[in-house]
Amino acid sequence: MATLPSGLPFIVDDEENIARFLYHRSLYSTLGPKTSAFLPHKQDRETSVFRHGSEPQEQLWAIGSDVAGERYLYGAAIVKTRDVREARLIVHADEPPPRHAVITGWPWDENDQKLQKAKQKEIAELLVSKSALLVR
Amino acid sequence: MYGSLSIRHDDYTGYTALTPYIRNTSAVSSEAGTLEKVATKQVEFSEESQALFGDKVAALSQLWTLARECGQPDWDGAGASPIDINAVMNSHIVICALPANIPMPELAPDPDGEVSFDWMPSRHRIFSVSIGAGPLLAYAWLDGNDKGHGVAQFDGTTIPERIIEGIRRILRYGNITVRPSFHCR
Repeated sequence: MATLPSGLPFIVDDEENIARFLYHRSLYSTLGPKTSAFLPHKQDRETSVFRHGSEPQEQLWAIGSDVAGERYLYGAAIVKTRDVREARLIVHADEPPPRHAVITGWPWDENDQKLQKAKQKEIAELLVSKSALLVR
Repeated sequence: MYGSLSIRHDDYTGYTALTPYIRNTSAVSSEAGTLEKVATKQVEFSEESQALFGDKVAALSQLWTLARECGQPDWDGAGASPIDINAVMNSHIVICALPANIPMPELAPDPDGEVSFDWMPSRHRIFSVSIGAGPLLAYAWLDGNDKGHGVAQFDGTTIPERIIEGIRRILRYGNITVRPSFHCR
């Protein structure tokens, strides 16, 4: 099986957890991550995530802090790859940096950006319902 | 007698002036009893208004904090757009226009510069509206297995009925306190 520089398999398995780092405290509540935490960026139309296996949380925070630079890392939204794919999105590895992956396949319609946003929010709500919150 | 009292629902002076009538009353006549009832209602109304006003003030405060903290490009470290000032202004108007019996939402910055208003009684019951620079509001809901999305136009005064009904449906089994209307400026 092909592996990446990080040593992880090239294909992200359905059973793998992926982490979306939360760099603002408004992106989650006591109930869990909010919809905004999963929405894609319009430049690349994707949501940046990191593959998170059974390794200790400290390792996850170390990766998140590296990516954060001077920003404070509040926590991470954790969701299973299978749940993302069941929401009709795509997850694939995107190294470097190590363990990096992206969620793509978000609805996109330049002719009706508001409808596009509404569709994206509906999918993001599905991800929220399947996700767990890790607070640092 | 009590007719000469000036009772203004939007004036806390009335609350202050009436408080002694309730808290330290020793009235025994029927007129005094009526006055006591009116004053009691007024104080209750004022206290509820203060509670509501506090909710809206807190939401507005959170909004402007968000605008300040997410007003620079790349606030999330992944290339997010800064919160648009016109989105903030519209969000301010929407908060003020929310009916009194709708709880204040939780606010969050969207990566495209809009402000998300979230009502989330649980992770499986969510109503979320994004407020941008224009009059169109993108919204979506999740209610167990039921889900959907839509776009509605905000006229600057009244929140579209579809959105209000959607929020109420999501919160139906929640703990909604009905409060008197209070207008913020």
